[in-house]
Amino acid sequence: MLPSGCSRRLVAELQGALDDCAERQLQLEQSLRVSRRLLRAWEPAGILAPEPPLGPETKEEDPSPACTPSPQDLKELELLTQALEKAVRVRKVISKAGERDKAPSLKSGSFATSPGMTASAPTRAPGQAGSCTSEAKPTRGIHQTTVPAKGHPERRLLSAGNRARVGVEARATRPGPGLRDQHVGPSAAPQALEAFTLKEKGRLLQLPAAFRKAASQNSRLWAQLRSAQPRDSTDAAAAAKTQFLQKMQTASGRPGPVLSAVEVEAEVGRLQEACSLLSLRMKEELSAAPTDWTQEYRCLLTLEGLQAVTGQCLHRLQELHAALAEQPVGPCPMERPSRTPPPCGGAADPFWSPQLLLYSSTQELQTLAALRLRVAMLDQQVHLEKVLMAELLPLVSSQEPASLALCRAVHSLLCEGGERFLTILHDDPADS
Amino acid sequence: MGRRRRLAGAVAEAGAGALPKVITALSQSLPAGPSPEIFRRAKFDRPEAAPALWQLLFRLLSPQSADGTSASPALEAQACWVKAALRSQGYPRLVLAQLPEDGSRGSRELLLALSWLLARGPLPERLLAQAHVQLGDEMPVCECEALASPGPRAPHVEAEGPVDIRCVQWLMGRLRFRWRCLITSQQEQCALLSKIHLYTRGCHSDQRLGHLSVAETEMLRDPEGGQQVRAGARVLAPGWACTPGPGPRSFWNDVRPGRGGADGGRSCAQLCSAFQLLRRLERENVGLEAALEWRRGELVFWRWMDTVLGACPPEAPAAATQPTVLPRIAGRGLGQLELAARELRALQEELCEASERRRAAWAVGGQGRGPQWRSARQALQKAVEQELAALRRAWEQDRGPARPHGPHRLVRREDEAPGGQYLRAAEVIQALRNQEACLEAALHRLQGQCRQELARLAGALPGLIWILPPGR
Repeated sequence: MLPSGCSRRLVAELQGALDDCAERQLQLEQSLRVSRRLLRAWEPAGILAPEPPLGPETKEEDPSPACTPSPQDLKELELLTQALEKAVRVRKVISKAGERDKAPSLKSGSFATSPGMTASAPTRAPGQAGSCTSEAKPTRGIHQTTVPAKGHPERRLLSAGNRARVGVEARATRPGPGLRDQHVGPSAAPQALEAFTLKEKGRLLQLPAAFRKAASQNSRLWAQLRSAQPRDSTDAAAAAKTQFLQKMQTASGRPGPVLSAVEVEAEVGRLQEACSLLSLRMKEELSAAPTDWTQEYRCLLTLEGLQAVTGQCLHRLQELHAALAEQPVGPCPMERPSRTPPPCGGAADPFWSPQLLLYSSTQELQTLAALRLRVAMLDQQVHLEKVLMAELLPLVSSQEPASLALCRAVHSLLCEGGERFLTILHDDPADS
Repeated sequence: MGRRRRLAGAVAEAGAGALPKVITALSQSLPAGPSPEIFRRAKFDRPEAAPALWQLLFRLLSPQSADGTSASPALEAQACWVKAALRSQGYPRLVLAQLPEDGSRGSRELLLALSWLLARGPLPERLLAQAHVQLGDEMPVCECEALASPGPRAPHVEAEGPVDIRCVQWLMGRLRFRWRCLITSQQEQCALLSKIHLYTRGCHSDQRLGHLSVAETEMLRDPEGGQQVRAGARVLAPGWACTPGPGPRSFWNDVRPGRGGADGGRSCAQLCSAFQLLRRLERENVGLEAALEWRRGELVFWRWMDTVLGACPPEAPAAATQPTVLPRIAGRGLGQLELAARELRALQEELCEASERRRAAWAVGGQGRGPQWRSARQALQKAVEQELAALRRAWEQDRGPARPHGPHRLVRREDEAPGGQYLRAAEVIQALRNQEACLEAALHRLQGQCRQELARLAGALPGLIWILPPGR
């Protein structure tokens, strides 16, 4: 067992990360639902389309956010992960041949989505009773079949019935694309009166005139506002504002502006960046072997300089600490808003205005989106790594009789991203 | 110069009549801005103006209520929140913190606080942007939003007691799994989006766009407007989306007589749900126009505010020194700070060790350098100083020319686009790849550090053979 303070901090941190992911997933499910429906045959006007069921994965995930696994689960988990990882490796080798034309990064994922996507191709007859449920099923199948492959305990125990159903559906959806191709010709003609599919008639759509007018006015106004920003808020107005802020500061009877919590946070962030830059520079310096005395001296100077700068950063951090600590803490009236839209890269572009991002193909869009997620994930990983290091490393070194299990778990978490484990052999000198 | 004179002239000639106009523009550009009369009363510190101003400040400071969908809490709670939020932004006047929260007085102080917020940045624009009607398929081109909230949030998930390390492993596993799910869903969403764009090519009246967005297509598809267009809720918290205004049905009934000429069922329906969106767009346009007007006439307002500030008695020094227990918004400040301090200390130790070693080596081999040494040494010192200064600039300044950020409207285009301001996916991909490489390097560095540390610890345990897992 971990000490309780450490447990609390780690669980809170990880739970926060999980909640972030869940929120993203929820938003994504929502847009997926809308997009899938748009690509199906549109219901004739006036008939309310039944609400498609919520994405199954969010429903299944959410009821169990904070519940802890049973000890049995935990024991099995380790064995299971190893076994499954092997299975995934084998599978990767097998599927390597055919994966070249598929989406990057995720074999099982991209493999599984393709039936879902083709199933929502817009050739189904309108008003078909089962259309919604049959749309949703491939997804459910996908997610349940992918779960065991990733080895996750909370959903490891699928009922036998479920599993059977998954099998049937998987088989049922597979012939879909083939059939569809045959049906395109004949089915389109008789339904022409009622069925409206984006694929066939999307280009006939027209936006209402009033809407067009308002939209173009809207984009014109945003453009005006954007261009008005630097110029029209004239020198005079800018000066008046600065003057006003200064007057207010002096009237408050305090000498200079006090560092606010927001500013402290921003500066701490900068210092963290400084730390990683400094340590990168140090690594460079240490890895280079000086060949003559100028280089040797230069290296020495650099290291000493880096040390001095690091000292200054630490000093600044202490000041910030003091600034933060001197603010008296009172009762917090409300929860901090979970997401305040932060300015990115400073004040260069303080507010949104509609701008275009051009992409040329589905694949390019997918690459872009995948990279965005990848960056977000890596950032989270780096942050979690730091937190885990701060909590777990002291724990390992302070253990009196070193617990091998703990060492192993910590090694896996800290050095392998929790994905692999090292093996520890007991080498008894008496045997040899 | 000439410009300034011209403007000053314009202001003077607008004279007294300009102020109400500017204030009207300001309050129109703010979400639920109070009537201009409130501003006038606040100048004279009339108590009846206070509640409206507390409410306005609350809406400005709390992003959740910016779109007006969440129920507003009681006035006391709002006031308490406003005090805390202003404090965390560094608001200088302590008088504000001592105001009663029942809204019984202090309207002038509140007006000052509002002006302080206005003076610090383009507030109306930012709020309008926050609540903008989202017509296109938007994609942020940076991850700053995600990067901004990695820390623990409201401590609503307290672990009851100590947990096993395996629980941590389990949670990490779940996290990896969630990311995989996300990536899969994201890929599918991109494929669908791209199809919709392709199928509606040429439908948009705006030549730059060419095709419809999901929101626009959905508006045409959904006759009843039952599924709200996800407008104005770019940052959707679960259960947040809500369409303000009257329901689609009743609205349609109101509208019908005026729009009788529509042909066929589908176009009627289009008008109906389009009208709903239209109303929101038009409301936004009014706000935008007001914001432009405010920008143009701002100077008059600031001159007026000078007189308001002048009318305030200076804060008693006693008030400034008197410790007031203020509500504070729990941030992740301290935790983040300690993390940073730990990293920096570790780095300093490492540097100290390394430079001591080098200095010793230098002292040993340091004899017998010629007379040219003195000048060379100075040149080296200067070079290193410059290099370190450059390194320092890398984190002290904002990162050079503004990187593209924020949500952009996605447009599918195979051919060369006509001139105009736009960003290409390839550029964003390149920037993201760089960022990815940096983060990967950082992660590997940390993992290497851990490996060293653990190997050192393992060295202390005899009789054990550590077999590392096979590399990737």
